[in-house]
Amino acid sequence: MEIDPIPNGTGSTATSTPETVATTVASIAASNTTASSKLSQLTESLKLEHQFLRVPFEHFKKTIRANHRTAEKEVSAVISSVNDVADRNEISKDDAVLSLTSLVSRLQGLKRKLEEGSRTENLQAQKCRARLDHLESADAENMSEWNNVRLKRILVDYMLRMSYYDSAMKLAESSNIQDLVDIDVFQEAKKVIDALRNQEVGPALAWCGDNKSRLKKSKSKFEFQLRLQEFVELVRSENYMRAILYARRYLAPWGATHLKELQRVMATLAFRSNTECAKYKVLFEPKQWDFLVDQFKQEFCRLYGMTLEPLLNIYLQAGLSALKTPYCYEDDCTKEDPLSQESFRKLALPLPYSKQHHSKLVCYITKELMDTENPPQVLPNGYVYSTKALKEMAEKNNGKITCPRTGLVCNYSELVKAYIS
Amino acid sequence: MELNTIKDAFDHVAKRQKLSSSKSQEVVDQVGHEIDQALAKIEATNDPLSPVNLKSILTELKLKLNTIGPLQQLEGLQKERNINLSKYPKLLEKSFNSDISKAYRNVDFDFHIVNQIVASHFYRQGLFDLGDCLINEAGESEATAIRSHFLEMYQILDALKVKNLAPALNWISTNCEKLKQNSSTLELKLHRLQFVEIIQKGTKADALSYARTYLAPLASLHVNEFQKLMVCIIWVGKPDSCPHAELMAPTHWQEFTEELTQQFCCLAGQSYQSPLSVAIAAGVEGLPTLLKLANVMAAKRQEWQAMKQLPVPVDLGKEFQFHSVFVCPVSRDQGSEENPPMLMPCLHVLCNQSIMKLSKNSSRTFKCPYCPEEVSAAQCRQLYF
Repeated sequence: MEIDPIPNGTGSTATSTPETVATTVASIAASNTTASSKLSQLTESLKLEHQFLRVPFEHFKKTIRANHRTAEKEVSAVISSVNDVADRNEISKDDAVLSLTSLVSRLQGLKRKLEEGSRTENLQAQKCRARLDHLESADAENMSEWNNVRLKRILVDYMLRMSYYDSAMKLAESSNIQDLVDIDVFQEAKKVIDALRNQEVGPALAWCGDNKSRLKKSKSKFEFQLRLQEFVELVRSENYMRAILYARRYLAPWGATHLKELQRVMATLAFRSNTECAKYKVLFEPKQWDFLVDQFKQEFCRLYGMTLEPLLNIYLQAGLSALKTPYCYEDDCTKEDPLSQESFRKLALPLPYSKQHHSKLVCYITKELMDTENPPQVLPNGYVYSTKALKEMAEKNNGKITCPRTGLVCNYSELVKAYIS
Repeated sequence: MELNTIKDAFDHVAKRQKLSSSKSQEVVDQVGHEIDQALAKIEATNDPLSPVNLKSILTELKLKLNTIGPLQQLEGLQKERNINLSKYPKLLEKSFNSDISKAYRNVDFDFHIVNQIVASHFYRQGLFDLGDCLINEAGESEATAIRSHFLEMYQILDALKVKNLAPALNWISTNCEKLKQNSSTLELKLHRLQFVEIIQKGTKADALSYARTYLAPLASLHVNEFQKLMVCIIWVGKPDSCPHAELMAPTHWQEFTEELTQQFCCLAGQSYQSPLSVAIAAGVEGLPTLLKLANVMAAKRQEWQAMKQLPVPVDLGKEFQFHSVFVCPVSRDQGSEENPPMLMPCLHVLCNQSIMKLSKNSSRTFKCPYCPEEVSAAQCRQLYF
């Protein structure tokens, strides 16, 4: 265990010993490194912005995939039409001309769609670039403005995830940060979520179809869960035959991998929807739809490279834990500390306290740090304040000090300087 | 993490995608062209076309399209695109922290409380419509107290922006006593600002009457300022030649606004900075350390969730130090009521428990770990930070 060397308190007050020279050099070096440490802090904070860059890129990829699928579908249809027409044994000239003309106009329609799709792709690429530029624009001079924008981005992300779309759009528009937030991505999710809340699986299934290969890669069973719910709904409305047909068509393929769950849900065929049997009652409850909404949100976030939790919660938890000390819960906690507020205190209750390895002392009067440049001074009653505050007080009061907390009056000369590393 | 590298990589990806996209369009064009040609051939022959001829044109078209193989081309282009597009996310994952939720604890984080915090934050920033919109959408109960406080404050500040000092004067006179307790000179500054405006734009008569009504009561408290201001009457209408020209500087309005905001928040029992901004700023500074810690403790998930105190310090800037924390240099324990910091006669400080240990429960003297002085436990006195 090492002890940092600090000057001896009872030593003579030499004015420029090698020690004091060393401390002044050290403090200059410290202020130089604060500039470079601020820079490294900035780099570290930029590293947290993965989601910021990943989401628009995933959106970009999605548009590319959709455009490709459109092209593929249309061209395939055209080719098979041509094959049909060519293979027909008897066809009149007019019919042939009609068919071919319609194919040509179909291809022209496709071309327009592809051009528009290409424009959308470009816009999204621009959005990706705009975000990269935004990250690059962060530097020492505009830090507070940049941080302000970051806070707004975090708040928009929170409101979008909580489905407070109006508020999110209001904030994004009024601060002109539409390019820096993912409103369009969440609008897409909104459609699916609203449908699920309305107990419709259509848009959700369409979404699964759009993202088939990626959901398969992550071994997602979301589509299976949607199908199961539709099955239960059929059972609920006592459409047993349709339910069985549905199961044959849509549930059977999942049997190989998810047999147990399939068996469990199929058993609902034997019950009525108002069954009291606990195990199966739960499958009929409307809460299952809420579960599907949650499941969708998770799959959606995973696919887009977003965190499952809102950014606000993540940063808030980290900040509260870093700020939390037992003193924050005392009655005289300064109002500047966020943890003096009841709401923040509640949130921070289950979080761990922060830890410090070195003493950091704050003057009760000036709220400034008491360090080697502004050392702590001890009154005869043991109360401690900063040299700056006490000097100022003494100058205004004929060399006398009054302790603000106990009312004790003494002379400036009676104070002793404490040495705390 | 070099942003330039990432930018270049992205530009590369975007460029290739543009090329690929136009290639797809070319394939479609090809198909259209062939069909057009076949169509032209069919329509070119005026006399009734024999079915054999028609069939041969159509079969030729079918074969031609087969040779071009547009579907295979499109497929090939998409495969290329997938390769092109797969490198960039990998670069992102390498350069950035790909999952910042690793440090998140699954504790009860009541979103109702978070909604209230966010709405209060909006009211603080003067975004009253936004705050109301959020409360509405979230279905939360209204935070009327905070809203009305800050509404009042912004009304005063908005008036100040157009150099209307009336609401500010109103507020200051209502809270005169409390402001005096905080030793604030807001009242003087306000009248000074108004007086300076009159000097610049008004008449001598106005200046005199203002001085008599408002400056006179302050004369005894702030003699110097009062005298300076009175002298300025001579230069009404010619503010530039006034020797106290620095009083005219527009920065005074800025300073006044700031001080008014500070005092207002102080009297309303609120902090000057939005607590949400402070907490998030602390989070941004602290999260990298917490993520490193979470990584190290990845295998001990249970310990991570249950810990009562972080095992490592999270270095925040000094603007986040709101409380004095004493750390005993010997035991590394934090000072508390049960274990307070004690000042030794050599003026070094240790925690009480360390002193008890070193002195074998006050039975012996011991050497201070810093200086070679002999100390006894009885000579130590408790410190209050």
